[in-house]
Amino acid sequence: MNSCLLCEKPLDDQPTWQQFLGIEKQTSTCPVCLAKFERIDSITKNDQLGSIYSLYAYNEQAREYLHQFKFLQDIALAYVFASDLRSVLIDPKKIIVPIPMHPASKKRRTFAQVDALLEAAGIPFQELLQKTTESVMGEKTRSERLAIIELFTASADIISNEKIYVLVDDIYTTGTTMHHAAHTLKQAGAERVEAVTLFRATGKK
Amino acid sequence: MAGVTAKMTWHGTHFMCRRCLNEDQSKFTSFQCAQCETTCAYCRNCLKMGRVSRCSELLIWTGQAPIYPTEHRMNWQGNLTPAQQKATNELLDSTKQSISHLLYAVCGSGKTEMLFKPIHHLLNEGKRVCLAAPRVDVILELLPRLKIAFPDTVIEALYGGAEVERFDAQLILATTHQLYRFQEAFDAVFVDEADAFPYTADETLQQAVRKAAKANAPIHFVTATPSAQLLAMNKKNGNISILARRYHGKPLPEPRNETLWNYEKQIKKKRIPKKLLNWTKERLDKQQPFLIFFHQIELMELAEPLFQQLDDRICAVHAEHADRKERVQLLRKKEVPGLLTTTILERGITIPNVQVAVIGAEQKIFNKGALIQIGGRVGRSVPNTSGDFVLFHQGITNAMDEAKQEIRKLNKQGDPLL
Repeated sequence: MNSCLLCEKPLDDQPTWQQFLGIEKQTSTCPVCLAKFERIDSITKNDQLGSIYSLYAYNEQAREYLHQFKFLQDIALAYVFASDLRSVLIDPKKIIVPIPMHPASKKRRTFAQVDALLEAAGIPFQELLQKTTESVMGEKTRSERLAIIELFTASADIISNEKIYVLVDDIYTTGTTMHHAAHTLKQAGAERVEAVTLFRATGKK
Repeated sequence: MAGVTAKMTWHGTHFMCRRCLNEDQSKFTSFQCAQCETTCAYCRNCLKMGRVSRCSELLIWTGQAPIYPTEHRMNWQGNLTPAQQKATNELLDSTKQSISHLLYAVCGSGKTEMLFKPIHHLLNEGKRVCLAAPRVDVILELLPRLKIAFPDTVIEALYGGAEVERFDAQLILATTHQLYRFQEAFDAVFVDEADAFPYTADETLQQAVRKAAKANAPIHFVTATPSAQLLAMNKKNGNISILARRYHGKPLPEPRNETLWNYEKQIKKKRIPKKLLNWTKERLDKQQPFLIFFHQIELMELAEPLFQQLDDRICAVHAEHADRKERVQLLRKKEVPGLLTTTILERGITIPNVQVAVIGAEQKIFNKGALIQIGGRVGRSVPNTSGDFVLFHQGITNAMDEAKQEIRKLNKQGDPLL
């Protein structure tokens, strides 16, 4: 019997015709838990990024989710948003570039959270960026974040210029990370860069 | 030693968590680990205590065992009834002989007080004791009582989110989950409310209790509603004490069955079923505090505004309410006339003169044990030693019948005139 990844309650998975015909996706999370996430589908843009698309608001449930996923290192939670991310990112015209972790931090966490999300969603990606520092955005104040000079280096020059490069991260807060990553990609020769994040910190807490 | 071990079998890899002894394969997740650079696996059963995987190390204390003081003051002057006296002595004898003991005592018979003497004996021998319960509420309720009873003893309470200073305390109060942390640590373990969820439903918790106790340490169970399995186990290789009478000597209230057809439909149509409405109105008129149990949070939340039309102070309480203790306190102080609740309040609470109704008593969640516990809320204190205990149902289940029979049997057993 399958149980919900978040609340551990058994999932009521009655076989249905939709499932049998492959229309309905296999779920890993119960509707009660999913309803606590607030879907916003917010799209904004700035001078570096053609669009910044965030799927959910960073609310209490999202905070708990990221805590369990990243700090309790529960990689199984990558599957919660697998189908959501897949429906947004699956596009042959796009090249998916995850925001990387510093190798030392990745080793400490035992996995890179963005890579895990994409792997769970079954989306191919290219690791075009490398992180230069071990420092983490979440531990910095806004002014400290804006003062950083360079966060990433590109691991290869960009050749196929017709494609859109899509940066993926778990959360968008001040936009510093995305700004730096987009800048680095453009320096390497990318024409159009977009961003997709799972959560977005909204003004109200 | 490695936190999670893997064994190759003919049908694949079989994982086991060395901390919580979980072997349910669906609770392990395999992934490409950046630390050990192989396919690693971790246990999701005890994840909340910090992740344990194949490449993480579990540490065990191999140094000298701590030496505990052998003189403890017991500051408790209460009186035990002759029946309680007998039970506590039997429990003490079993403790001395290292035999597992089941203290089967009805709701409101003063179970905690019966544990004091055996615990005191163990502490005075310099032994380490654990008092475990499946629910945090029970631990939080026991802690102040034990701190008063044993003022000189180092006592620590362990539960999710607790700030723990002394893991080496001589007397440990812990939720059964926390026992995952211990191995061969205690000279005796008392499991209070041994029939409560999730202890009975989760095999790993039962193993955790066994793992936490030393090899021949006795494991005692205390409950008002022992499962058939627990009874059988202690009949075979243990002792049993039965306390069929409450401390005030009055019988347990018997449940009264009332039909309540289509209650779900009616509540969804924003209408309180007539019989339930009359029952509630009667309680309000007589100013008796009441508890109404629901089987489902969703249904309870639909009903909450309907009840608030009768009296706007009525409110609902369930597991996710952070202030559920305060709300129960309000009921005790009569600032709230009654509460709607789920099985979360089925045990451990005492409210003078409370009247109880169960909506949908035929639902699966209301098994025999739950119904007896719910009934155990009624008539706990003097002078209101009885009260109404009504089961609203759409068809009588075996569990309802069995609960009633059990209560009758216990009342007969405990009758001082027989």
